[in-house]
Amino acid sequence: MIPDIVTAVVVGLLAIAIVLAVAGVVRARTAGDAVVAGDLFFFAFIGFVAVFGLIFSIEAVIDVILVATVLGFLSVLSLARLLQGGQR
Amino acid sequence: MSAEIVVMVVGSGLLILGAFIIATAAIGLVKLPDLYTRASAVGTAAGLGITVIIVGVVVLDFSVLNLVKGLIAIAAQLLTSAVGSFALARAGYMTGSHPAPTTVPDELAESATHDAQLAQNARRDVGDHSAGS
Repeated sequence: MIPDIVTAVVVGLLAIAIVLAVAGVVRARTAGDAVVAGDLFFFAFIGFVAVFGLIFSIEAVIDVILVATVLGFLSVLSLARLLQGGQR
Repeated sequence: MSAEIVVMVVGSGLLILGAFIIATAAIGLVKLPDLYTRASAVGTAAGLGITVIIVGVVVLDFSVLNLVKGLIAIAAQLLTSAVGSFALARAGYMTGSHPAPTTVPDELAESATHDAQLAQNARRDVGDHSAGS
């Protein structure tokens, strides 16, 4: 449905983002930096899910993206809460 | 036939644009100096990138149900990514993650010292008052 060159470019750009995000988690000096890098990893992973769902023409791809956008927000909020030791 | 080609070109362009925006956020994660600028880069750029990718998926795989789900996902993404990065930056400030030295107006620190000074003045006033009476 989408040309191979488009798939290659999109997957390559997202792969760069994921590699840099993992490097950010590994190199992080504080816990906040690690959480920011993990957030970026999550966004890039949603992009991967969207592209591979289109390639293999999976019908539920938009449902998966819908659930992932809502639940990723909860993960970031809970990690931010965890940084402060449960206090606001 | 030509409509299919238009749909394919527009959808592919949107997918590439979204992936490019997310890669830009990753470059910002590496190059920017402190937690707050990184949270800003990831929160805004990755949120916009996911939004553009969702629009591309809806264009390529169009149906009314997908359009509604895509609109809900876009609204959720635009509302929540900014709130998430704000909560993250606030938690980083509370746990003492220092901003870069080039940060010039540090209004949270200024207001914190201002509040401490106000509390000190209030305590001194109360003490003077009790001592005077």
